[in-house]
Amino acid sequence: MIFLRRQMPLLITMITGLIFAGQYYVPHPASEQLLTSATKWLQIIGGFALVLGVTSLFQVHAAKIRRKEAGWGYSMVLYAGMLGTMAVGWWANGKESVEGVSTAFGWVYNFMMVPLQGTMFAILAFFIASAAYRSFRARSREAAVLLIAAVIVMMGRVPLGEYLVPISGDISQWILNVLNASVRRAILIGVSLGAVALSFKIIFGVERSYLGGGKE
Amino acid sequence: MRSLAAALLAERRVSARRGWEGENRELFEHPVEMNVVMGPMISNRGRRWDLFRLVIFIYACLAGLVPSLGWAEGMLLRPANVQAFDTPNDGGESLTVNWAPGPLDSPDARYQVLLGDAGATDAASLKVIAEFPAQTRLVKDLKGPWWTRTAERNWHQFVIRNGKGVALKDGTAYTVTVAVLKGEERMVGPLLQAAPTPNWFNWNLVNNLVLTLIFGGVVFFSIAQAKRRDIFLRRIPGLDAVDEAIGRATELGKPILYLTGAHDMSDPSTIAAAVILGRVAKKTAAYETELLVPHRDPITMAVCQEITKQAYLEAGKPDLFKEDSNFFITSDQFSYTAAVDGIMLRKQPAANFFMGSYFAEALLLTETGASTGAIQIAGTDSDHQLPFFVTTCDYTLIGEELYAASAYLSREPVQLGTLRGQDIGKAMILSVIAIGILLATLGVATQAAWPQYFLDFFKDVK
Amino acid sequence: MSFAERMLKIDRRIIFVVIALCTLLPLLYPVGLPIKISQEVRGVYDHIESLPERSVILLSLDFDPASKPELYPQAVAILRHAFKKNLRVVAMTLWVSGTGMADELLTKVANESGKQRGADYVFLGWSPGGTAVIINMGQDLYNAFPSDYGSKPTKGQPVLEGVNSLKDVTYAVSLGAGNPGVEAWYVFGKDKYKFELGGGCTGVMAPGLYPLLRSGQINGLIGGLRGAAEYESLIGQKGRAVAGMDAQSATHVAIIVLVALCNMFYFTLRRQARQQGSQS
Repeated sequence: MIFLRRQMPLLITMITGLIFAGQYYVPHPASEQLLTSATKWLQIIGGFALVLGVTSLFQVHAAKIRRKEAGWGYSMVLYAGMLGTMAVGWWANGKESVEGVSTAFGWVYNFMMVPLQGTMFAILAFFIASAAYRSFRARSREAAVLLIAAVIVMMGRVPLGEYLVPISGDISQWILNVLNASVRRAILIGVSLGAVALSFKIIFGVERSYLGGGKE
Repeated sequence: MRSLAAALLAERRVSARRGWEGENRELFEHPVEMNVVMGPMISNRGRRWDLFRLVIFIYACLAGLVPSLGWAEGMLLRPANVQAFDTPNDGGESLTVNWAPGPLDSPDARYQVLLGDAGATDAASLKVIAEFPAQTRLVKDLKGPWWTRTAERNWHQFVIRNGKGVALKDGTAYTVTVAVLKGEERMVGPLLQAAPTPNWFNWNLVNNLVLTLIFGGVVFFSIAQAKRRDIFLRRIPGLDAVDEAIGRATELGKPILYLTGAHDMSDPSTIAAAVILGRVAKKTAAYETELLVPHRDPITMAVCQEITKQAYLEAGKPDLFKEDSNFFITSDQFSYTAAVDGIMLRKQPAANFFMGSYFAEALLLTETGASTGAIQIAGTDSDHQLPFFVTTCDYTLIGEELYAASAYLSREPVQLGTLRGQDIGKAMILSVIAIGILLATLGVATQAAWPQYFLDFFKDVK
Repeated sequence: MSFAERMLKIDRRIIFVVIALCTLLPLLYPVGLPIKISQEVRGVYDHIESLPERSVILLSLDFDPASKPELYPQAVAILRHAFKKNLRVVAMTLWVSGTGMADELLTKVANESGKQRGADYVFLGWSPGGTAVIINMGQDLYNAFPSDYGSKPTKGQPVLEGVNSLKDVTYAVSLGAGNPGVEAWYVFGKDKYKFELGGGCTGVMAPGLYPLLRSGQINGLIGGLRGAAEYESLIGQKGRAVAGMDAQSATHVAIIVLVALCNMFYFTLRRQARQQGSQS
């Protein structure tokens, strides 16, 4: 059992890790075919994983309803929404429209999901303003530099800003193209090295805490 | 003399327009090497004039002037040194043609690449698959590194690939050639045979492999070093605050909310977030504080369940572990955000951890968290969301600090050694950047050509 | 509590009202300020402009309804341009929740341009797997999408003539609101299968994609509503994005004013604290 829980996953990780790291350097169609097969396996496993997720969701909310926890009514809404959408989805064969005519599933999509998602994204504008007002203060020299750069970019990215301060457009382009791009590259180099190092550790079994285990 | 030689040979040159039409009507007479010389003799002009030209021509041949006369200015010649072969370092179904630059490579001249079945002896049976200005498609303009170049930098190169009217099959031979056009004239090169085959190694990427192996070697060497002696680790305030955050939640009797980001387990940032979760869970188990981990990916949820379980076992509190502390919400971005915001407002966690990758939901989550007064610690490699995290969270781990977090929290030699390896890797990259800047500046300042060789070397090796 | 202190702790709902007004009023009473075209947007426009007729352009609409305000106008502008140039359009999405919207938008613009489904354009729909779909398309497009969104077999459709995989696509544009999006199309698509790639994204994501732009990994970038407005101006068909720019202008200026005010109050407080400190 310990072999199945500890050594076996590490062995699979090492073998597949090395094979697919090597695959990048092999242009032969056989290697490409291997990659395609693996991605298909991932899609299949992903599909089954969704069952795992939905089961967890059902269990958590069933427990809430059973125990009448605070906000259990929301759990009922979740059940109704999920089962209702699944039912109309099956009824409409997963299509939002058939030959230009909206199905029941399409109605749910267009008149419930689209406005709800749009609302969530629109909140971002309000939150950006409130966060900026609350936190964007020139507490130090670095913060002041950040503040000035942000104001220039905000001015330069809209017609009114360019109209009021014509040079703001060019300066904001320069900030985005030169300062922003170079700093992001620096972060990317660090992130990439970290990711490569982590990958090495995982492939060779040095890092194994992601398997849910401590030291041997 | 030169203009005379040109006039002598001009008669045999086939007009491009005429030749192309002739090809279409299967009347095209492709040039034959020997006839280039004999061509003037079969002119339609008067016999006396022909005789005169023949005498002059023989005289020129005897005097050894033909090469210089033949390659005269304004004269169209067959593409020279044409080579056709299987494209190296690829997955097959592709051929490469190289040929030497011609003396008449000017903006008004054009090259055509012709392709046909194996065994074709007549250029008329070949199909024109590409046509381009004569000064383009040079080896030096291609992106490949120098070690896989198949011709001189100033040579022409064209890669024939499948698609757009071309259907090459591996293992099947094809006839390939190049023609040059200028004005009304057209000259076709020798007909060559080549068969595409797939390759087992892409030598264009050997630099990548070598650098990765060197970096891997450095990482493992550093791990070995770290096992033998202590390695200094600079303070990461965000991680120092983890204990403070958990302590505060314990004092207030409120839960801790931990998010693992938008990506699945194939992303290093999610793995790093899961690893940090293990350390955080161990502490929450020790302090007996409630832990809530809502997920966007079911596989990440399953993995994190195991990690949390193990952490509670290691803390000696397996009875406190709850299976549903890790739970799935939805993989949809804003539905997940709405649900987590709801949890924040209802359960009022004392500490919120945002680890992993995030998109537009970042500010919606952190601003809601800030409004509940929770202590917030973020760690992300999503550089585009960093401004929002920095503005709304108490501490933010930027980029690779997320990967360094597990080393910082555990202080294990393996983790510390990896960090040292990363630093060495960064130092190497920085050195090359610094040398490159110096060389580029020197090149511009002194107008010397030699710095460019080094810069080209770096460019190819990168 | 001093005035500055009270202002710094202002109810955030007041800020929300200010932002709501700054968005709503310009939409009701548009001004129509001129829009300057950036090089990033021109990169995408010029490339499409340079393509010969009947070239294949792949448009991956990798966003969901949440990002509709910014990315929908971008998609409309690109589609109008592609149809005007008589290019063959292969559209798809990597975001399941964006499928219906993508189909609706494509059908609308195609009808407006008088284009035929199957002959001038095709909507492949969505396939599970995220980035894996890009890899599969690079191998064999018909394997990745055996049928289009309308369940018609993809093989044999005139619009896909001569297109077997991503290698046969002349130009690809990903309009991405996250992952998978522009970056995924570069890493798993362009880098492996060598086609020209352009990108479009939300305004928040745009600065993050500049390194890709500067290194030539993408040949153009349409960033947010501003990018969409620039593209609409370039094709001479002003639409939703241009109309929205006034609202965005007002909102940006409002945020700048708010930040300036908050700093003013912050420094007033700091000065007061210092004065009190020196007195005691």
